[in-house]
Amino acid sequence: MAGSAEIDGSAGDEDGTHRGRTVIVAGQSSDRTREVLHALRGFTNVIWPKSLEAALEQTGSVDAACLVIADDLREEPIDEFLREARELHRNLPIFVITDPDDVAEAVSAMRHGATAVIEIPPSYAALREEVARAMT
Amino acid sequence: MKDLPQSVFVVDDDDAVRDSLRLLLKSAGMACEVFASAQEFLTSYEPAHPGCLVLDVRMPGMSGLEMQQELNLRGAMIPVIFITGHGDIPMAVEAMQHGAFDFLQKPFRDQELLDRVQRALARDTENRTRLRHTDKIRERLATLSPREREVLDLVTQGKANKMVAGDLGVSQRTVEIHRAHVMQKMEAGSLAELVRMMMAVAPPR
Repeated sequence: MAGSAEIDGSAGDEDGTHRGRTVIVAGQSSDRTREVLHALRGFTNVIWPKSLEAALEQTGSVDAACLVIADDLREEPIDEFLREARELHRNLPIFVITDPDDVAEAVSAMRHGATAVIEIPPSYAALREEVARAMT
Repeated sequence: MKDLPQSVFVVDDDDAVRDSLRLLLKSAGMACEVFASAQEFLTSYEPAHPGCLVLDVRMPGMSGLEMQQELNLRGAMIPVIFITGHGDIPMAVEAMQHGAFDFLQKPFRDQELLDRVQRALARDTENRTRLRHTDKIRERLATLSPREREVLDLVTQGKANKMVAGDLGVSQRTVEIHRAHVMQKMEAGSLAELVRMMMAVAPPR
């Protein structure tokens, strides 16, 4: 397996209908973003693969509701990864968290298969809304 | 039927932008039509006219994003390149989620726009070719009898003649005859080609 994954299965009781499905978060992210992503644990299962490659591997082994690419992976070849992920999982929602000033990068991510691009710092409500939509 | 030549349609409320884009596109050998508002474009837009659209996001009256949604409602497939001086990520995401071909922030280099326009025109050609192909398949499908259509659906699911016969409660020989008619009417040279045709008109989810 490429990279290890910290698995947090502590789905809270806030919304029991989402138990069992998993949000895969690739990258460790900035502090503020991490705080928001961690808060999703009260909503559903969250796993944290350490790399894009490991995240892609996880999409095949868990019941993935969606994939979130955190903002610390900007240096990685995200477009290529998105293309590959889209080929493997046509309908998997993929969210990219990125710098608010980089519209060109956001457009490129969308062209390569991102479902939506979310600016840092993401609001918990906005992210949870996207994740909830991904689970229906 | 031969396609009309491609045009680049520019919709921008700023006279100077329209003029400079018209000059730029003409200097690159592209036919160009300019419009000062979304309403003006929508009134004269003819979907059969191939090309692409260069569309300002912020305009008085109907905005570029609203115009895109109107085109979507009309089933238009023209590739749309948005241009804006005040773009942000939510705006770009909304445009792309609604099917924009690209989203470009001003100021941009002339070549950047020309490259995107070339790609958008190529996409429009691909879309129209694909549409003609699927239209042809649908026309052929419409010539099948209900029984032939049942046989087609079952064989393209991978079922052998014997299984199809069992499913439909007919003899294997009858299935073979229907299958031969299906291949002839659909102008398919092989089962693989038939499957590809069905995937083209109803892609798997």
